[in-house]
Amino acid sequence: MNDKTSRRNFLVAAGMALPAAAMASTSKTRPRDAMPLLASPAGLSYRVLGKTGLKVTSVGFGCMITSDPSVIERGADLGITYFDTARSYQNGNNERMVGAALKAKRRDIVLSTKTGARTKEDALKHLDTSLTELGTDHVDIWYLHGKSKPEDLSDELLEAQQIAKKAGKTRFVGVSTHSGQPALFPAVIEKLPHFDVILTSYNFSMDPGMDAVIESAVKQGLGIVAMKVMAGGFRTAKPGQKLYDTLKRDGAMLAALKWVLKNKNVGTTIPSITDMEQLDDNMTAMTVPFSDADQKILFAQLEYIRPLYCRTCGSCAGQCPKDLPVSDMLRYLSYSEGYGEFQLGRESFLALPSEVKDVRCKDCGACAIRCPNGVRVAERLQTAQELFA
Amino acid sequence: MKIAMMAAGVLMSVGTAAAQLPPCTAVPGWTQQGPARSFGPDNLFDYMDGNAEAYLLYHFVGMKGISCQSGDATLNIDVSEMEDPEFAYGMFTSTRDPRLPTEKIGASGQITPRKGFFVKDKYYVEISANPEKDFSATLRAFLSVIEKNIQGRSTLPDAIGWFPTENLISDSIRLVPESVLGLRLLKTGYVAQYQSGKGFLVRELSPEAAAQVFAKLKERFGQTTPVRIADEAFTATDKYLNGICVFRKGNFVGGFANLPFGHDGVAETEKLAASVK
Repeated sequence: MNDKTSRRNFLVAAGMALPAAAMASTSKTRPRDAMPLLASPAGLSYRVLGKTGLKVTSVGFGCMITSDPSVIERGADLGITYFDTARSYQNGNNERMVGAALKAKRRDIVLSTKTGARTKEDALKHLDTSLTELGTDHVDIWYLHGKSKPEDLSDELLEAQQIAKKAGKTRFVGVSTHSGQPALFPAVIEKLPHFDVILTSYNFSMDPGMDAVIESAVKQGLGIVAMKVMAGGFRTAKPGQKLYDTLKRDGAMLAALKWVLKNKNVGTTIPSITDMEQLDDNMTAMTVPFSDADQKILFAQLEYIRPLYCRTCGSCAGQCPKDLPVSDMLRYLSYSEGYGEFQLGRESFLALPSEVKDVRCKDCGACAIRCPNGVRVAERLQTAQELFA
Repeated sequence: MKIAMMAAGVLMSVGTAAAQLPPCTAVPGWTQQGPARSFGPDNLFDYMDGNAEAYLLYHFVGMKGISCQSGDATLNIDVSEMEDPEFAYGMFTSTRDPRLPTEKIGASGQITPRKGFFVKDKYYVEISANPEKDFSATLRAFLSVIEKNIQGRSTLPDAIGWFPTENLISDSIRLVPESVLGLRLLKTGYVAQYQSGKGFLVRELSPEAAAQVFAKLKERFGQTTPVRIADEAFTATDKYLNGICVFRKGNFVGGFANLPFGHDGVAETEKLAASVK
């Protein structure tokens, strides 16, 4: 299966074999308002991954920290159809394990991997190694790994993806991002039709503005895969933090996953799964929708972030007596606090006209702005001024 | 106050890791490029977005690193401190390519053309090189300098020596930080790959805790057959773990899994149980 002809034959056979890895549409069909929901046999729910046309289970499988292949095998047996790994995970050991675990199911599933390479040559070598380790002649989606700035999407990396696509080594290409989404998503859209999918961190603890960012991509036909859906869990959250207090509540992890799934613009999710119990829990998210009980579990964190992030409703426009562009300034703060992009936030702030950026809210007696969504505007603007000015 | 003490703890730990870093000039021809870097669990994502979780999984405490340059070649040297030597060993085994030979650097190390790493005590040291070229001699030289800077244990965890060696795949024993065999009950432990099946060993805090885990395992597998090994033991079959034989000895739970049909694993399990101290 090393020559192009046999690879093409394999792809055709794979596409015809099973609906789960459905024949992908290569048409330029767009825009679409949201991922269509499909019929749900046996407790599974499927969505279509943007313009790829790939039909995938709404709950996928993040293999990054899985240590035993039996969990992956069982995930496939239970009907999960989207599996994600990366060249860098466990220095390549992860791809080998994933490939071995899914060998018998390769034609039934959508398999993605990523490269963190910075040059075309390294990226293409990575892909060849990935294919060898995964024991397949193609992946379904090949991502540029961990990009957070528009300039990370270099021409040579995009060229590498095109070469790989033409060679039949990947069916679709994408970019994965953990931070900087407000700047990166428009850059990805600008590169269309090159990209097919964005793999992004997305969870209940993030800036609610992420919903609009995701929607902007979906409207252009991009498929959205959500990661870090449990807000990093206890490996990230620490005792004493609001997020930790929320996540330690019974059912919080499942509620977090269901919270992501209630956004119909999300094509699939890739929670990291380490054991059979977690796998079983996650499966239920496909059939049991986000409920009031889930809302209550996540309430503390949702309430905590409510006064922090602007919903960009526009009701504050023109209200500041000092003519501050309130919504923009709050967005710059969220670049730093919500997306981990301090530099982007600072640069955006410093690009404001001097008569605006020199204003200090603490010099005003009382803030004229009353946010209908409860954002503590004066406090947040002062934070932005202290942080960036 | 508690947070301040925790922060101080992290800084001290990262400071300790910093003490292991050599100057780039330790190997002739190399100079430092840019400032030294330092990361804790809260900001490791800034350095390695997409791979930080793999470190946090092994109870990452802190990392100190530098980049060195020689012509167009760059080395990224990172010294990571884990909570204890076992987790550092776990990090090493998750990175090691089991198909390639290891070297005696610290407790164990491995060098490939563009990457070199080793574990010693609670430190996991990694150097990556760019561009595409064979850097193994340079990597070995730097790793040797760093290894000498690190005080502490340079032997493998004791449990490694407890697994029977017959049919054991060389350098296959690894520490699994969560959910050994994909079972949440088995929190953290060692897994060894054999020609047929795999051995595992989990240490609980007390014999009582181990007995509880053993009882829950027995319940999970449903139909089990008792066998006489150590304090208690059984054999069973499972759709994904195939044939399985489990024993408890004091505060340890261990055994063999993924055994081929018709092989109960009792002999191997007896050997493993006998070695456990």
